[in-house]
Amino acid sequence: MKKAIKFSRIFLPLSLASIAVIVSGIFGLQTVGINLGIDFQAGFIGKVRIAPPAVELTYTGSRSITVDQSATAINLIMTGIGSDNETLRYPYTQYETVGDFERAVASIPGIQVTVRAPASYPLAALFTDSGSIARLSAHPYRFHYIPDGSAGISSDEIRQAISRFPSAAVQVLGRPENQAFQIRLRDDGSDPNASMNLRDGLAEALSAAFGEENIVLISTDFVGSQFSKTLASQAVWLVLGTLVLIMAYATIRFRWDFALGAILAIVHDALMMVAFIVWTQMEFNSLTIAAILTIIGYSINDTVVVFDRIRENMKLHPELSIVEHLDLSQTEVLSRTIITTVTTMLAVLSLFVFTTGDMKAFALALLVGMVSGVYSTIFIAGAFISFVSRFRKDGGRIREKVVAPKASDGALV
Amino acid sequence: MSKRSRLILILVVLAVCFAFLWPTVKWYYLTPPEDQALALGSRERIKDYARNMAVADLRELKEAAKADSSDPVAAKYDVLVAEAKKSYRIMKKDVPETWTARPLVASFSSEMEVLLLLENRYREHILSIKKTQASAVKLGLDLSGGMSIIIKADLDRAAESQKDSISDMGAFRAEAMSQALESINSRIDRFGLSEPVIRQQGVDRIYIEIPGTADSDRINSIIMGRGMLAFHMVDDEATQRFMDYYTRNPASTFDAEYNLLDESIIPPDTRLLGLYRKDSYGLDERAGFLVIRQDVALEGRHIQSAESRRDEMGRPVVNFILDGEGTRIFADLTANNVNKRLAIVSDNKIRSNAVINEPIPGGSVQISGFSAEEAENLRAVLRTAWLNVPLELENQQIIGASMGEEAINQGMWALACGLAAVLLFLLLYYQGAGINALVAQVLNLYILFSVLSALNLTLTLPSIAGMILTIGMAVDANVVIFERIKDELRLKKGRQAAIASGFDHAFWAIMDANITTFIAAVFLSQLGSGPIRGFAYSLAIGVVSSVFTALFVSRLIFDFGTDVLKSKKLLISWRIK
Repeated sequence: MKKAIKFSRIFLPLSLASIAVIVSGIFGLQTVGINLGIDFQAGFIGKVRIAPPAVELTYTGSRSITVDQSATAINLIMTGIGSDNETLRYPYTQYETVGDFERAVASIPGIQVTVRAPASYPLAALFTDSGSIARLSAHPYRFHYIPDGSAGISSDEIRQAISRFPSAAVQVLGRPENQAFQIRLRDDGSDPNASMNLRDGLAEALSAAFGEENIVLISTDFVGSQFSKTLASQAVWLVLGTLVLIMAYATIRFRWDFALGAILAIVHDALMMVAFIVWTQMEFNSLTIAAILTIIGYSINDTVVVFDRIRENMKLHPELSIVEHLDLSQTEVLSRTIITTVTTMLAVLSLFVFTTGDMKAFALALLVGMVSGVYSTIFIAGAFISFVSRFRKDGGRIREKVVAPKASDGALV
Repeated sequence: MSKRSRLILILVVLAVCFAFLWPTVKWYYLTPPEDQALALGSRERIKDYARNMAVADLRELKEAAKADSSDPVAAKYDVLVAEAKKSYRIMKKDVPETWTARPLVASFSSEMEVLLLLENRYREHILSIKKTQASAVKLGLDLSGGMSIIIKADLDRAAESQKDSISDMGAFRAEAMSQALESINSRIDRFGLSEPVIRQQGVDRIYIEIPGTADSDRINSIIMGRGMLAFHMVDDEATQRFMDYYTRNPASTFDAEYNLLDESIIPPDTRLLGLYRKDSYGLDERAGFLVIRQDVALEGRHIQSAESRRDEMGRPVVNFILDGEGTRIFADLTANNVNKRLAIVSDNKIRSNAVINEPIPGGSVQISGFSAEEAENLRAVLRTAWLNVPLELENQQIIGASMGEEAINQGMWALACGLAAVLLFLLLYYQGAGINALVAQVLNLYILFSVLSALNLTLTLPSIAGMILTIGMAVDANVVIFERIKDELRLKKGRQAAIASGFDHAFWAIMDANITTFIAAVFLSQLGSGPIRGFAYSLAIGVVSSVFTALFVSRLIFDFGTDVLKSKKLLISWRIK
């Protein structure tokens, strides 16, 4: 038997500290509010870049030619009658500038190329509009670029251009020289045709101010007021339902006070994450829900492993009190707790390092939740069980259930 | 379970998983992009493609035959050569060594036969690729880029507008919903850039997903615009002229979206539209082309009701009743155009065309000359003329393909580096036993991916989150076991005994932990939607596979060391020797 670490000594102060953090989170929720993402707040988010066209491709002919721009090359995928199906690849390493690309593409029958950028502009720096069809037709397909040394457009100018939407919020995405902006418009639910009106109105306003061919769509997202309500309430009900199921299983496998302790630990972790999200003003979106669900799954795993050890120890050492059991079992599985958490955190840390935007925020929320998960397993679930055990007649000690012998085993006839 | 049967079980699982995973590997890594582009198109597009290619090949072959070229025919005619050999053998003629164009053409009795063989070859090729794609893991829009739309069909408002004529509310709602789905289906598949996913979600919502890039304005107007049903007169003479032209110039009549390259081949006040039938999948299939007069002969709004039934002879017919104004227009129209054809046009597709046999003055019209199924389809089309199901756009998302690509790259790097870091840590900490954990982890991800592939699930960022949690859970199962084995080794047990009792003691801890998570995951996967569902599925699968790898695979590797390599010691910690 290992020498038990007296975790139980600091149950009370840590519980109080936890309550303080959670209360501050709830307080923040009431005062500062949560930074709701588009999933939960009806409206329209458009990410656009303001950039002039660099290369325009048009095509007349019977073939189907689609453009595919990847991180390493521009591909022209050709199918249909006329000649063999083929993919023409223009890697940036070989076709370094816009001029190289123009010379190569101009020789394809049926394709007309118009170059508006300087011929020496790097090909890899071009980008395309996500809202336009990638199949070449008589309507020009455009690659855009950011001219060197141009002053560019500030977010104030964007705000000015869309001043007819009083609810609009404009944010610069990344570095200002990227000329990428996020524009967010509210949908108050009064206009049944909000999706069209917001989108078209925004497109019109931007086109009027900066020219239609200079607007490059990165992504858009519209959520109607009905939909956002459904998602939010669904998430809450699902979490509650999950907790009830976990509670039921844990009650069957362990005891009701253990089950409740486990649930309390999970709720604690979820609320800790909420407090973190509120105070960092991280965006709360459907990925955040996934993060909280992940932590619920992870934290219950942790807690159950400890309970399992307690149950085993109670059979081995029935003389110990419940608090001694808690300390002993926690000590025994401590190395497992630490190693599991460290390894899983390594995976999440890698997610945090390599991703950007929403995914990075997701990874950060997970890291916070994992730390909280370990902490709650050791201290919060334990504190609750030791608290309840004071009121139990048996002091929380486990007794072997005496199985009553059957009245009759039946008689052989 | 004996070790041998455990080994067999593991091998079977790995083999089955490989079979599941194979289409994914084939689609993403072994299919050239031009084939992918073709296979992603709609069935109609594939059919057009096969037909056009076959026509071009046939023409080439005929020219070679005319010139009596002595070159052997190209490999693309292999299917013809095989058929020709067969008929030569039947006729007991000597099969030539090399085939040139003239004897090859001569061995077929009709051009149509050649055309069908060639067309089939092209179609089968693309359809087999499409099949591979259908069973490969699909990337969610957040990874591939594209557009997703959720539309709500306002069934209550539709019911209100028809409240006098509804007898069975449940049946009406189901019918109205299927009409909304049908009209969206038929409008959207004309795009055909890549095949969209359209499915009903819940009672009254329709989910549409269009991968790749798509023109949002056009799609919005097509989805939200009301379908216009109208009758147009067919210009038979112009139709005949067009067909002659098309037969002469099959390759240069249309562009890729079936717009005429040369508008002047049809008269200026006419339009060229496809005539559509339902194929065996219930999808629209173009059966031919008709040139119709541009001006509307009768607007669909004059139709008051339509029914399909059988006439006195038992032939299926469709009957529809016109309102007063419609009756007058139709009476004039039919009186002036006896023996001409009338086309029913909806969403720019000709749904049916019929010859006017006699003037119809009474406003009750009967169309006949098709199967019962076609009659029912036509009735459904006519119904859209008066039953309007208002559609409301609830959610629309466009994600740039470049953003998707960036997300994949980031996700892959994160997964690879995360896994590498985890494995390195386990190797350092558990030394020799770390190899077990390593193998178990890799297999775990492998099983997870292949089951995702088998269940035709979509890979999204939340499902990657589920995988990361799975890595955590799988590590945990291994760690619980290893720590137990260490405890046993500290009690001075031998290798075999320590492993056996380590696994025994860890069993329930692992089961309890994973069963609770599994319950939660199944619950979420059944009731959740969108991101929650994707996450829950990969978690549920991951839980099962991590239990399997920890209890079976890892154990088997330990036993292999004990029995086959005759290891007496167990390298599992720096402190325990």
